[in-house]
Amino acid sequence: MLISNLEILPDHKVVRHLGLVQGSSVRSKHVGRDFMAFFKNIFGGELRGYTELLHESREEATLRLVEQAEQIGANAVLNVRYSTSSIAAGAAEIFVYGSAVEIADRD
Amino acid sequence: MRYENRQPPEGINITRVNPYTQFFKLLLAATLFLVLLVVALQFLGGFMAKRVPFTYEKQVSDKLGIDLNSAGASPEMIRYLNELAIRVSPGMQLGESVAVDVHYNSENVFNAFATMGGNLVFYRGLLKEIPHENALAMVMAHEIAHINHRDPMAALGGGVTSLIFTSFITGSSGLAERFLNKATTLTSMQFTRSMESAADEAALRGVNALYGHVNGAADLFEVMGDLTGDTNRNPNILERFATTHPLRDDRIGAIVSLAKDNEWTLEGKLTPLPAEFWQWLNVDD
Amino acid sequence: MIEGVLFLVLMSCGLIFGQIAEKRHLKSLVKRELESNSLPAIASRYPVDDQPYQQHLVTGGVVIASDYFKSFTAGLINIFGGRVTPFESLLDRGRREALLRMKSNAQDLKADYVFNVKLETSRIATGRAGAIEVLAYGTALVSGNDANNAPTIDSSSTNIAASGDRAISHRSVGNASAINNGGIDTTESSET
Repeated sequence: MLISNLEILPDHKVVRHLGLVQGSSVRSKHVGRDFMAFFKNIFGGELRGYTELLHESREEATLRLVEQAEQIGANAVLNVRYSTSSIAAGAAEIFVYGSAVEIADRD
Repeated sequence: MRYENRQPPEGINITRVNPYTQFFKLLLAATLFLVLLVVALQFLGGFMAKRVPFTYEKQVSDKLGIDLNSAGASPEMIRYLNELAIRVSPGMQLGESVAVDVHYNSENVFNAFATMGGNLVFYRGLLKEIPHENALAMVMAHEIAHINHRDPMAALGGGVTSLIFTSFITGSSGLAERFLNKATTLTSMQFTRSMESAADEAALRGVNALYGHVNGAADLFEVMGDLTGDTNRNPNILERFATTHPLRDDRIGAIVSLAKDNEWTLEGKLTPLPAEFWQWLNVDD
Repeated sequence: MIEGVLFLVLMSCGLIFGQIAEKRHLKSLVKRELESNSLPAIASRYPVDDQPYQQHLVTGGVVIASDYFKSFTAGLINIFGGRVTPFESLLDRGRREALLRMKSNAQDLKADYVFNVKLETSRIATGRAGAIEVLAYGTALVSGNDANNAPTIDSSSTNIAASGDRAISHRSVGNASAINNGGIDTTESSET
């Protein structure tokens, strides 16, 4: 599965567009992490717990996007976009979507 | 190039869970987690409190200069209360350097409490309900026992820290906050109640050593029960569970059985309060 | 006591009505998705150019509230961490509904395609109980033949009752704009 935020692939051509596919993930960290983040907010700096949280969410969302694309018979997802939003306090949502396509080698 | 809209199958972006079992599992786990946290913090607080030397506790509380409001008290009353504290202490196996200082508060509240630095406060509202010296000695010994057990320190160490931690956790749970707070308060109550029972036991020991009997020791609890509306003569297990102090009948029953176990006599001559006691009480009126 | 009863009432309201509403919504989503399947909505920024088309910005928006039971469970999950499953279905429903409304907006214009579809999600903070807003937008391509009888600013056909979003057609090529129902902000799009 090829995932790209490009639309035109240098050595491939798009044979068929199969529509929109999306993946999303809402996750939260346990209170211990929230507690550390609370303290980190006093001193500033990277909130590692939350960086990790968003990383995990992004991976899961991407996996779900890929699964949707596979299920509808696509072999690539182009023009992929990520968006992050806060759905509840301490929980982050990562949403990814793109165009599911069938690509073939350019002759 | 061809364009079509293929519909991906359902449920890729949704984790399949049974909302009901998920909810009950979470609720159980959260409650258990908080109860264990409170228990751990309370034990830790009590453990630490006993290791702080009493002299240090006294220094800190003196520096803080908490106003215990002895205004309006007659000097004789304060002298009498302090003298009673000294008389009831010998039989209580007080720890090294533990000393109490008794204060008087002229508010008409039915209460007496022990706080940091060995300070005891007796309210006028409680003193005016006292029928005889034996009952007063019991309350005095009870509060001294709290100081001796370092309960005010334990409450500060265990109670306050567990309050901070649990409120952070329940706070992040949003709507579940109220429910989880109940669980933590109930857990904390078990600790204060066991402190009260331990203080009752030590106090009874002191009273028995002073008078040679424990007659009249429970009399104030009768009065207290009437005043606080604890008229329930047959409390059920839930009502017992949800109080900070042992309920009246349990408390009186515990005193009687303690006396029996230690072969202390429940019969004996009651010592009256000093004749001027009521004058001292009314000095601020 | 009263607090406990209130809590139970709110929880069972959330449980019963929330679950019923979710099941019903999912059913209707599946049905309408099948109906609108003939209209391709594509995330690609490069439209077809086999014939002249008119461009219209089409939008679809929806605000969905979480129910008491979902919010309560999500709060408990927040203590331990992990997937906030009660909100997954909420977001999924929101996105699909927004896309369907955008498509129905495009179908009203008799569009052949919707290109460069984008989705925006935001939390509408109303205390602790959450509500989310999802906006789907894209450029609808209406073929030249249909353009003559396609409605332009006729609100009766282009207005989507639930979202209040409306599409305005522009005869000039390469530019399309939309206004929201409050008329406060104007989104410019010239991606095509």
